[in-house]
Amino acid sequence: MARQQGWFALILALAIAAGALLASFPLQLGLDLRGGSQLTLQVLPSGRVKTVEKEQLEAVKDVLERRINGLGVAESTLQTVGNDQLVLQLPGEQDPSRAAKVLGTTALLEFRVQKAGTEAEMQGLLKLKRQVDAVLALRKPKAPAADNSTDQPVEAKPSLSAEDLAKALTSLGLGVPPGASETDQLELLLKEVNRRVVALFEPSSLTGKDLVSAGRQQDQSANGWDVTLAFNREGGEKFATLTQSIAGTGRLLGIVLDGRSISEASVGPEFKAAGIAGGSASISGRFTADEARDLEVQLRGGSLPLPVKVIEVRSIGPSLGAENVRTSLVAALSGLALVAVFMVVVYRLPGVVSVLALALYSLFNLGVYSLIPVTLSLPGIAGFILSIGMAVDANVLIFERIKEELRAGNSLIRSIDTGFSLAFSSILDGHVTGLISCIALFTLGTGLVKGFAVTLAIGLVLSLFTALTCTRALLRLLMSYPSLRRSSYFLPLAQLPPAST
Amino acid sequence: MTESPTPRFRISQHKRLAWWGSGLACLLSVVGLLVSWLSPGIGAPLKPGLDFTGGTQIQLERQCVLSACGSITVDQIQAGLVTLPLPAKAKEQAPSLTSAKVQLLDGGQTLLLRLPVLEADQSQAVIAGIDRLAGPLKTTGTSVNTIGPTLGSQLLQGSLVSLLVSFAAIALYITFRYDRVFAFLAIVALAHDVIITCGLFAWLGIFFGIEVDSLFAVSLITVAGYSVTDTVVVFDRIREQKKALAQLSLIEQVDVAVDATLTRSLYTSLTTLLPLLGLIFFGGASLFWFAVALAVGIGVGSWSSIGVAPTLLPVLSRR
Repeated sequence: MARQQGWFALILALAIAAGALLASFPLQLGLDLRGGSQLTLQVLPSGRVKTVEKEQLEAVKDVLERRINGLGVAESTLQTVGNDQLVLQLPGEQDPSRAAKVLGTTALLEFRVQKAGTEAEMQGLLKLKRQVDAVLALRKPKAPAADNSTDQPVEAKPSLSAEDLAKALTSLGLGVPPGASETDQLELLLKEVNRRVVALFEPSSLTGKDLVSAGRQQDQSANGWDVTLAFNREGGEKFATLTQSIAGTGRLLGIVLDGRSISEASVGPEFKAAGIAGGSASISGRFTADEARDLEVQLRGGSLPLPVKVIEVRSIGPSLGAENVRTSLVAALSGLALVAVFMVVVYRLPGVVSVLALALYSLFNLGVYSLIPVTLSLPGIAGFILSIGMAVDANVLIFERIKEELRAGNSLIRSIDTGFSLAFSSILDGHVTGLISCIALFTLGTGLVKGFAVTLAIGLVLSLFTALTCTRALLRLLMSYPSLRRSSYFLPLAQLPPAST
Repeated sequence: MTESPTPRFRISQHKRLAWWGSGLACLLSVVGLLVSWLSPGIGAPLKPGLDFTGGTQIQLERQCVLSACGSITVDQIQAGLVTLPLPAKAKEQAPSLTSAKVQLLDGGQTLLLRLPVLEADQSQAVIAGIDRLAGPLKTTGTSVNTIGPTLGSQLLQGSLVSLLVSFAAIALYITFRYDRVFAFLAIVALAHDVIITCGLFAWLGIFFGIEVDSLFAVSLITVAGYSVTDTVVVFDRIREQKKALAQLSLIEQVDVAVDATLTRSLYTSLTTLLPLLGLIFFGGASLFWFAVALAVGIGVGSWSSIGVAPTLLPVLSRR
């Protein structure tokens, strides 16, 4: 008897502990339950790096973390997954497309000097570039303003006639792919012009690494934004030498971002003597406010050591998340209620005990979720709901055994004890096979699948404990009251053997 | 317990029915998988969902109640999508939206779009486009899922590997705990349950376009674990009573064991099905088919543990 009371005290203590845990560490809800976005980034090997190593992944993560902080998104988390993936979670109603754009670019900034003797070619290319840019700018769909029925390009004012376009294309040695629209041809042309412009510059030793900070300001005409750069001491010296070498020559300084020339600047003859000193510069690339801010964030965070690609975006609105919480709560509670009714109707007194044990089981589960902590997601809740069913299975196996022993004419207490010990073998097998599935799911699955495997596994382990300990201790406790010690509380009288002891 | 109990229900008398039923169901399932594989629209044994193919799925909720914002048809939205200009990077072409699939849920209150893989700003453009067509939209009710094609194939591979590994691990454990014939039959029952569950979803894919995702793979693995548990309860009983019933033939022993465990086999399945019914009826759309797959698998698992695995035991042991 003392032993049973000891068990009972332990169960009570655990229940209080679980309650206290839940009160002090609230459950963590996944993005599908509270709303938010999740981006998965794949780090790609490039150049000499054939496989992504741990240190490189960490280096990429550091840069991305600085960029995220620069963006000022609240409560975001960035985690490495596996060998070459990073997962960014943005809770709440934050636009994932902005983050995807800012995080996805390498942001390798280079300062290049125009090769000598290419002035004429550069002039021609830049003129063509401005022309094509202007034409394309007019054709760009203005998404929010456009009327949905008319998507025809607006009459282009600064136009490039078809012949001029064809001439420009052939002069650059470009063949026109069949069926390409005029916009396609223009983009093809622009791409080639940009490539040639970059080719006319030669790399210098001054790169984004020599920056200490970056900022932005409105340009003089107040039409666009400039990005300002501040170099460290070494960078400032390099910049001065670089500008001195081309001052007054008509050769240009190119600012190249990720292999794309974003700005070409001339350096006036007044810098012939010492170059542009002071360790700062600005890029006037006619940026919009957002573009300038994103570039600033990227430059400040540094360039990525390896390119990354956004391979998954999941976003869920907050009200959808709340809806998910509501439906899964209703599902879990209705499942519990159905099982409870079934157990009480079929098993009578032990049924009531199993419902109590089930309530304890649910409490323990939630306690463990907040202890570990487990971030609850929709599949995680499904795992919990399924584990309710499996936890009750153990009780069914035990109670059926007890009934059988009673029918065979054994005494009540004896039947209960044999019931527990004989059912143990199949209960254990069931739980072990279940755990094997969970381990396979956890080690090989992805985020969503893992959530399911974790809650189901916790449920299986706990149900071994509650089915074998809680149910037993409660049942034994009740049996210490003689008024409850009646076989008819376990089985309809008709099924009992007449000579019941 | 020395007198031999007389079972009320003799499974051996119904074994032909059980075998025919199971055989037919397995055959239909395999046919379903093959038809799905050969059909040009699917080309795989099961219709792969967004998780495996990659793509973008956008769910939008309209702000207005139906009567106020007027009805909208799938065709209208599809036509709107095709002409919708998408932003694209300088060197890339925006994906064409002609293959977009549009679904109206909740009587038109909610829109579900299935699109090729879109960049984040492209999906924003789609949302803005739909907002003009069917808006105003509830921004808090929007959900966007984009799975890149590389991740899709990774997920598919991961699902297949975890299926195989867990089946193998379960088989290993059962072989270790029971003798070889029992283990073999438990695995036959497992295969039976998994094939029928897959077969049902193959037919659902063919007729109703139901797709399988990584949660479906999870449900198969769970069904596998559960099926073995169920079968083991019967086998455990046969093993336990072997000595007490030594004078009976194996067929009769099986009959006694099945009869004695029949109630608990049915009840354990029922107690697992009840919470799943809660999920099916109240759990919302995202877990609906997952719960259905689990429920079907557990139902079939209960059947195979009563009707298939025990009745095959005497047949195999004779040889």
